[in-house]
Amino acid sequence: MNICGYIPESINEGPGLRAVVFISGCTHRCPGCFSPHTWSFRAGEPFTPELQQQIIEEMAENPLLSGLTIAGGDPFFSAAEVSEFVQRVREAIPNFSIWIYSGYTWEELIHSAIPEYLKLLQLCDVLIDGRFVQQQRDVSLLYRGSRNQRIVDINRSMDQGKAVCLL
Amino acid sequence: MTILRPSSTYPSASPAATSDSYAHLLPLAELGDHIIHGEHESARENANLNGDSFSGKMSRLGSEYARWYTRQNVLPAPVLQAVQQNRIYIHDLDHYALGTTNCIFIPFEKLLRDGFSSGNGSLRTPNSIMTAMAQVAIIFQCQQNAQYGGVAANKLDYDLAPYVTRSFRKHLRKGLRYFESAAIHTSANAAAGEVDFAASTGSSAVSSVSAAQSSGLIEQPESTLFQDTLRNDWEELILTASMGDEQLAVRYPHAYAYAVEETRTETYQAAESLIHNLNTMSSRGGGQIPFTSINYGTCTSPEGRLVVQSLLAATVRGLGHGETPIFPIQIFKCKQGINQQPGEPNYDLFLQAVECSSRRLYPNFANLDAPLNAEYMIPGEPDTEFATMGCRTRVVADRFGRNHLSGKGNLSFNTINLVKLGIDHGIHRHQLASVNRQQAQRIDSRLENSKFTDAPIHLTDSTLALPDEKEFYRALDECIAIAAEALLHRYRIQAVQPAKASDFMMREGVWEGGDHLQPDEPVGDCLKHGTLSIGFIGLAECMKALYGAHHGEDEQVYEHALELITYMRRACDALSERHNLNFSLMATPAEGLSGKFVQMDRQIYGSIEGVTDREYYTNSFHIPVYYPVTAARKIRMEAPFHHHCNAGSISYIELDGNARQNPEAMTSIIRYALSQNISYFSINHPIDRCTSCGYEGIIGSHCPDCGASEQEVHIARLRRVTGYLTGDYQTRFNPAKQAEVRDRLKHS
Repeated sequence: MNICGYIPESINEGPGLRAVVFISGCTHRCPGCFSPHTWSFRAGEPFTPELQQQIIEEMAENPLLSGLTIAGGDPFFSAAEVSEFVQRVREAIPNFSIWIYSGYTWEELIHSAIPEYLKLLQLCDVLIDGRFVQQQRDVSLLYRGSRNQRIVDINRSMDQGKAVCLL
Repeated sequence: MTILRPSSTYPSASPAATSDSYAHLLPLAELGDHIIHGEHESARENANLNGDSFSGKMSRLGSEYARWYTRQNVLPAPVLQAVQQNRIYIHDLDHYALGTTNCIFIPFEKLLRDGFSSGNGSLRTPNSIMTAMAQVAIIFQCQQNAQYGGVAANKLDYDLAPYVTRSFRKHLRKGLRYFESAAIHTSANAAAGEVDFAASTGSSAVSSVSAAQSSGLIEQPESTLFQDTLRNDWEELILTASMGDEQLAVRYPHAYAYAVEETRTETYQAAESLIHNLNTMSSRGGGQIPFTSINYGTCTSPEGRLVVQSLLAATVRGLGHGETPIFPIQIFKCKQGINQQPGEPNYDLFLQAVECSSRRLYPNFANLDAPLNAEYMIPGEPDTEFATMGCRTRVVADRFGRNHLSGKGNLSFNTINLVKLGIDHGIHRHQLASVNRQQAQRIDSRLENSKFTDAPIHLTDSTLALPDEKEFYRALDECIAIAAEALLHRYRIQAVQPAKASDFMMREGVWEGGDHLQPDEPVGDCLKHGTLSIGFIGLAECMKALYGAHHGEDEQVYEHALELITYMRRACDALSERHNLNFSLMATPAEGLSGKFVQMDRQIYGSIEGVTDREYYTNSFHIPVYYPVTAARKIRMEAPFHHHCNAGSISYIELDGNARQNPEAMTSIIRYALSQNISYFSINHPIDRCTSCGYEGIIGSHCPDCGASEQEVHIARLRRVTGYLTGDYQTRFNPAKQAEVRDRLKHS
């Protein structure tokens, strides 16, 4: 798993001040994507345990962070490894809010045959889902690029068996 | 006397200009050319002034002549020398010889209560919030021309609350007349005999009217007669009525609801027109609008709260086309127990202020709980609550007992170039030993302004051995002494000015006690309550030059930096004792100056990495804008410096992104800054505006809304400079500030 970006403090990927980690690799290849340089799984550098530890320590030390957002690429293409990272974050920083982006929709992830998808989903609090659709592009949307994308409350969606949106 | 300089327009040499007796006037004439033809950098020295306009040029001509005159005829020789050596900077030199003073907190409470005269006409105390806010603008405008710096209201919510009450009472009177009389009438006609209305009002007049009506003795047309009786009774009620009177709301629900709604509407309109006025009256020399600041947030009466709510709502709404108001600078006063935690009476206003700041960059946040500020605060006396004048100026304590804010201000301030001292006794000392001695000596004697070397100097172990701290502090002492001498010299000029020179300020007692002076009496005895401040710039570059790292990079260097500022504060305290005046230490707002110092130092020392290689020096004690550091760490590192800067300081956090969509982030950062005892705080974030479609937010090369390209449509980019906003940084900032804005590292 490679990491192609890290922002220690951001206000653009969720409420409050959040750390953002960009996991390399995405095969959705949405037309009009704002970061095609992250499509390659070789983009950036290896997300080594040492680098993960360093980022976790930085986040733990920062009293202003309200959470972590995992973006990409699409982190679900590296679901097993990302899950391990998220678990380490959970252990080090209890009560940290973790948001995750994916080009897959909630329904696609839930009904997928890949068990790692479900595991990663359950480790996170909020999913911003769906591919970027140029025809539905809207700059006024919070944290998203196109109108089809949703901000899904994972826990409540699991409980109710359907996507429950936050906004 | 002709001092026309030969130029392309006047090809023949003027004899006057070449004759020896006028030779010293030549630079002045050249300056005139530069100003008139718009080539002078001074045109952009002040982001609030349009130096390309006729009136801007006219003002520059006067101002540049005044500077020249002061240098030639007024400044004491050691001061002039220190200025020429780039060791100190005298702010607003153009007003030095005149004896004008800098800035002031205006006692609006008194001026509005007692009425005032603008010089051409007098105004009565206002009877409504609409008129009161109009008068606030007029007072700002009158006062602005009596001084050269900022004009501020330190507690505008308290000052204006009485006029909200007056409006409320007016509306209540109307409400009672129209709604409650009608109600009485109807109820009297409809339900004769059931007069428990009288009991609920407790008014004998009402009961007798109702009784009379119910007995059928009175015909409808006569009801006005009885309304008159009622009105007499109500007058007493109206005389003491206030918006927070719950009984009133219960007894006269219709009239009360009407009065509240009308008062809200009126206060909002008044606030909107105040903000428009303060952005449109170019009443100052050079077409400047008055440099106004308003502080608010702690008054908990419904009337005072309404003032704050209205000002914030009007600010969010923006000016005519929805653009962000540049003035007044707004400062929200944060205080535990009042507006900081859920459940506190003005907590909602704090949240509203954060929301407003996320859209409009104002308000900034003043910390009343920081020990420095809490020390002088007396409960129940809002005039002792910390407030700031725009860019950061703080005046609270007074050794002559006026430990409150309004009615006084800063008299003047001079800034010390810490970077030069750092170079002289740090890196440069070692260069002397390690490089071409002859060249170095030449620099040392400053006989020549040629560049030391064209190649940039890198800070390496060989260039950085131990700095000579002893010599550094000796030289610093000297700079402080000269800066103080200049302040005292200027103060003596200010003190002998007759009251009539500052006109409105003294005549109307804007400066406390001025109204007791005769027009020809000197103002010294009043002015002594003001502050004389010594500022500093470039702590970061100074540390880099001394120790090879700035105070954000190295813990030991941080200790040295804090020691240095503590030392300067002690020096100011000692000066206060020695001269029996209010000396204070200021974290200089360095607009204009940030580029001037470095330009000249680079000419002498060349480009030194991390020291003179940028177009500006870092403001005051700030961690450099280009240094990557988390928001929390920057706050923690800068906070202890605030405590020593009793003439004022500000810390900023830069946010990259659309802050208006994320007030949670703003709130947590502001709360954290306050908890760390930052005295005055603000968050910078970009506000771009597409002039084609009006979209506001972050705009790259294309407007995300209408798609217009930066090449075709002007994208106005609003940024903050030294504490206040400027319309568009690409046209109004000076080059050094533009470079600083480009370098600002964001917490995105």
